[in-house]
This record gives sequence, C-alpha cells and structure tokens, in this order.
Amino acid sequence: MDILRFTTAGSVDDGKSTLTGRLLYDTGNIKSDILETISGDEGLNLAHVTDGLRAEREQKITIDVAYKYFSTSHRKFIITDAPGHFEYTRNLVTGASNVDVMIILIDAQNGITAQTRRHSMVASFLKLGKVVVAINKMDLSDYSQDVYERIKEEYLQIAAKLDLHNITFIPISALQGDNVITLSPKTPWYIGPALLELLETYKPPMHQYAGLRLCLQYRIDDNTFAGKILSGTLHSGDKILIHPSGQAATIGNIIHNYDNVEVAHAGDNISITLQEGIILKRGDIISHARDIPLTSDSFDADLCWMDSSSALDLQKTYILRINTAETECIVSDLKFKVDIDTLEKYSDKEPLTANQFARVGISMQKALAWDHTATLPENGRGILVDPVTNNTVGAFVILQA
Amino acid sequence: MNYLDILEAEAIYIFREVAGQFKRPVLLFSGGKDSTVLIHLALKAFYPAPLPFPVMHIDTGHNFPEALRFRNALVEKINAQLIVRKVEDTIREKNLPDPQGKFPSRNALQSYTLMDAIREFGFDACIGGGRRDEEKARAKERIFSFRDPSGAWQPHNQRPELWDLYNGRIREGENVRAFPISNWTELDIWQYIKREHIALPSIYFAHKRDCIVFQGRWVAVSEYVTPDINDEVVNTTVRYRTVGDMTCTAAIESQAQTVDDIIAEIEASPISERGATRIDDQISDAAMEDRKLKGYF
Ligand SMILES: Nc1nc2c(ncn2[C@@H]2O[C@H](COP(=O)(O)OP(=O)(O)O)[C@@H](O)[C@H]2O)c(=O)[nH]1
Repeated sequence: MDILRFTTAGSVDDGKSTLTGRLLYDTGNIKSDILETISGDEGLNLAHVTDGLRAEREQKITIDVAYKYFSTSHRKFIITDAPGHFEYTRNLVTGASNVDVMIILIDAQNGITAQTRRHSMVASFLKLGKVVVAINKMDLSDYSQDVYERIKEEYLQIAAKLDLHNITFIPISALQGDNVITLSPKTPWYIGPALLELLETYKPPMHQYAGLRLCLQYRIDDNTFAGKILSGTLHSGDKILIHPSGQAATIGNIIHNYDNVEVAHAGDNISITLQEGIILKRGDIISHARDIPLTSDSFDADLCWMDSSSALDLQKTYILRINTAETECIVSDLKFKVDIDTLEKYSDKEPLTANQFARVGISMQKALAWDHTATLPENGRGILVDPVTNNTVGAFVILQA
Repeated sequence: MNYLDILEAEAIYIFREVAGQFKRPVLLFSGGKDSTVLIHLALKAFYPAPLPFPVMHIDTGHNFPEALRFRNALVEKINAQLIVRKVEDTIREKNLPDPQGKFPSRNALQSYTLMDAIREFGFDACIGGGRRDEEKARAKERIFSFRDPSGAWQPHNQRPELWDLYNGRIREGENVRAFPISNWTELDIWQYIKREHIALPSIYFAHKRDCIVFQGRWVAVSEYVTPDINDEVVNTTVRYRTVGDMTCTAAIESQAQTVDDIIAEIEASPISERGATRIDDQISDAAMEDRKLKGYF
C-alpha cells in the first residue's frame, strides 16, 4: 500500500470542504466523536470537518492549509485542504507543492471563474502531474450533460494556454455523493471513473530520471555524510563527481538505516563515506560522470511571490535555496508578469507583490548544480528567503540557464 | 514504496534538516508512543553517530510512573543526554497558581517551563511528536513551525513551506518547532511500532486499574486524582491510547494485550485518539489552538 497526496481547490462555496467531508464520511474515516462536533441543527455539516482554526470557523472560510488523512483498502490518502481566496493563493501554492493530484472544483451553476484560472495557474506553475476537474453541484443543474460538456470545453482552452495535460473531468455532487465514491445512476451519460476510483488507481510519475543525484544534508561524523537520493542508483565503489565543485571521488560505504548496503535507490535517505576522505558539505550534489547536472550562476525561472509584507525588490539580495544548497542572489530581471485571472502576459512599472507570478532572471553569488524541471523537478526548483525577516518570500521553478 | 517507508523517509529527512540547519536542537521526549517513535527515527537518521542533540522532558509532576521508568530506561539504553525541567519549579519560581480541583491539569503551564528551558539552554529548535491527525489546530501547522521569542505560534502568518524545503532561518531568541511525524496517523504509528519492534510503556497495553468515571470516560485513581464520595471506584481492565498527565488522560476499556490487538482495536474503534483520551480538549473547540498561541508544543 502506498500514499497518494491530493488537494482540493476551488472558489469559496464551490464545495471543497463538503467534498472532503464526503470522502472521509463515505469511506468510514470520520470517528463518532468528530461526527458529534460537526452535527448541528440542520443535520451533518460535512464542510465543518476541515475548518481547523477559530477564525476560520468564525469567518466560515479556509485560510491556511489543513491536512486530513484517510485510507481505503487500496491506498492511504493525505488531503491537503487549501484556501480558495485570492489573498491566500500563496497558501494554496504551499499546500499544492507536495501533492500528486489537484482536484479543481467548479460550481456547475457558476461555471469557470477567475479562481478556476488562478488555481489552474498554480497547478501549471508547480508542474503537477494530474488535474481532476470536478464539476460540482450537478444536483442543482439537473445532472445535465450539456452543462458538463460546456464547462469541459471551456476548461480545455485554459488548459491549452497553461500547458496542462493529463486532465480528467468528473461531474459530481459532493453534497449528494454522486460520482464521488461510485458512479451515479443520475449521470448515465458519464462513463467514469468516479472520483475515488481515480484516486485509488492513479499512478504518479515517480523516480523516472535514471541519472544519479544525491543531495547532501548533514555531516554525521568526520567521514560520514547524510543525504537523500533524488534520482538514480548509487553503488558502493562508484566513481562520482561532487557538484558544483566538480571534484572527483569514490564512494566507500553506503549506510541505509543500520545496515551497510551495496546499493541504494531514489528516495532512500542514506549516509556515505568517500574513499579519498574528501570533506563534503551540506548543499553538495553527487552524480556519476556520465550524466551530470547543469551548473550555472544564473538562470531564468517562473517566480511566485509569496510575501504579503514586502514586494519583490530588484536591488535586494535574497537567499536562494535549491534542495539543501544555498547562496545569495538577486532577481536581476523581471521579464513579464502573468495575469492570474486572464492568464495573459503583461508588463507594468509596479513591483511583483504577493500572489503574483512572473518570469524572471536570477543571478547568484556562486554557481549551483541544478536540473531542468522536465528532467528532475526535485532539483529544478527552489525558494527565496528574505535575509532580514527570514521569511520565505518566493518560490521558483527553473526554465533554462 | 510502502507507506511506512515513505513516512519513515520523510521523518528522517526532516531530522537531518533540523541537524543541518540549527545550532542547538532538542528532542522533546515524554515516554509516550509518539516521542518514542521519534527517538527510534532519530537513531536511524544519525547512525552510526549518537543523537546529535539532547532529549528533554517537560515534567508536569503528574506523570504515570510507568512512563517515567520507561523514559529513564530508554534514555540510558541509547546513551542520550536527558534534561528534565519541572512545571512544579516554574510554579514556585513564578509564583503561579497551581491548578486545583478534582483533575488539576498543569498542561497549560508546561508552556512556561518549556520557554524557560529554551532560554536556559539556548535551544533554537524543539523537535516534537505532534501529528496533524490528532487535532484541528495541529492539522494546520507547518513541519517547521516558526515561533517568536515568546514561543507563540502565528497561525495566520505561517511561513510558506514548499516541497521539502524547510526554512529554519531565525533570529536570536526565536525558535522553531519541528514535527517529523506530522503526516503519521495513530494507526501508522502502531504499524511502525509493530514493524520495528519498538518497546513502549506497559500502560499502552491492557491492565487492571482502579478508575472512576468522568464524563463517560475512565480516569485512573492516583495521588493526583482523588475520588469524591459520590464516585464509584471500579477495578477494571483498561489501557491508554495516549500517555499524558494522569489528571487529564482517560483510559479506554480494552483487552488489547499485544501490538496486533491494539491495531485491530484502533481499526475498529469509532472514536478518535484525542476524543477518547483527552479531558482537557473537551472544554473548548479551540483549546489546542489557544495553548499553541501561548507557546505550547
Ligand atoms: N446542492 C449542493 N450543494 C452543495 C454541494 N456541495 C457543496 N454544497 C453546498 O455549498 C455550500 C458551500 O460548500 P463548502 O463545502 O463549505 O464550500 P467551500 O467553501 O469550497 O469549502 C454549502 O452550503 C454546501 O452544503 C453539492 O454538490 N450540491
């Protein structure tokens, strides 16, 4: 049994919380004491399952990401319940950064809204592998195939603009449960899958890149260094290169849990020694000589600004992080912004502020080793940190050197 | 990958991030199942070296003796440095009112003791066993949860936390609470305990105990909880799902003798872990959130 992480996105009142509640309830994942707290005068309020903070219960909206856990006999699931409001887009980016699937809810009566485009933009920015467009409240639209097809057509145009692929459209009623757990007789024109069926069977693309990338985190003792294999396979005795310095070395021991192992794979957290006794540093990336990462001190990237108390300052030095590697940088060039409601590119004199997206050029104080997002997303993205407030102020995905 | 391997890998990665980013971390250890699993994961994360940080217990003075014995034995076995700071001392030093009543909970007072200890030792990161499935406020908290110098959590202004990039940069006096097992459920914990043969205090398993009933829950009679004349003391077979203070942790009726029994029991249980076992959170819908705003774990 493995784990699938997914998020629900949509405008306020599109039914995100109800859908989450429905999934938990219909799979028998709500315990009775929790049921008590969500039962009110008007019966069960499934939406209340996800409203964690007092302000959220009072304002009846979702502000920050909440996590919910449930399982079926096929899989364990982590639901990231992310906010829909514009001013909390950055929290949606946080929540969606770790998911395999984004479910975008559309209220069948309202159709596609600015939020739908914005959330799709987030999915595109994060290069998510799978988007499910759940057209909700079908019960209020007489389960009409026309309504469904019209929204689907319109959405496909957005998807084309955003370069989003692998989309599945599902007509649902979160409130009534249609097409959520099983296919509904009320939509005989829909051939499937039901939402849960899709979530149980979808296989996220994982560890596809064969080239070795070992990212170093921490020096355990004089000769032993801990790190995580992002991709590929490492054997003891392998000749390797250390980046960004390019220095050559030979792997001695590989330790995984309490064992010395001959070989370790993508996803493993290991420790290694080097035969030459070279000292490794946090932030180093190890590869084989035959497929090395790119090394540069500048690149173009898509940037999402996440700080609500400061705008992007093109004169200012930020701290840039990719995996565990850190360096100072400046964002030297703001090429264009993307209007997240219309998805059009534009330029103006205003600085980039919270929840906005832009194409930028970044210059670093020293070269780092990275990969193209298409090759190895885990080594092609990062964050910007304000050195004064220490806040995480931006997230970026690298495009090219 | 199997889900336990995924969760284990995530936790080990987080432990190493804490060690890689902070100067003076500490692991909060109570002798309960979650923090015992934390220790087990930390040992794996830093093998072959010993733990690169001490473990600390914020002792309310209302502990189960079994949990304290277990705590001491485990710390000795792994040769870790144990720091104990007592809520009792804080009460005396700060002249705070010691909660009275039938179930005198020092739970909220732990925040003061914790913050004092953080300042005393200059800890910049406290590693805790909090899980997001435990409680509504926890479900919203980041893995690296930034706290200001007073220890307060700012739920509406949390740092963005993308991918597995944990930002541990702080200024002097600030600290971070790190939660390596954020994404584990109660059942995951038990499945892992089973797979890794992790030992636990005996009170997690069914045993005979003198209890009284409070709001439909079994509470053990002890030197901290004295029955009223109206209470009927019953000797019954119970076990604990969580191990907190004797004054605010309820027992559940159970015959579960082994880890396998417990797993079967949780799978069949209609009630959540906190719902079954915590008396303190029954008081208000936002009890945990309020404690966290004041520097709680
Ligand atoms: N008729 C109908 N109402 C729904 C459906 N899904 C959600 N709702 C209602 O829409 C309102 C907003 O739902 P909620 O889940 O709180 O939306 P959120 O803001 O996206 O979390 C609530 O009154 C729900 O009962 C649905 O499928 N059909």
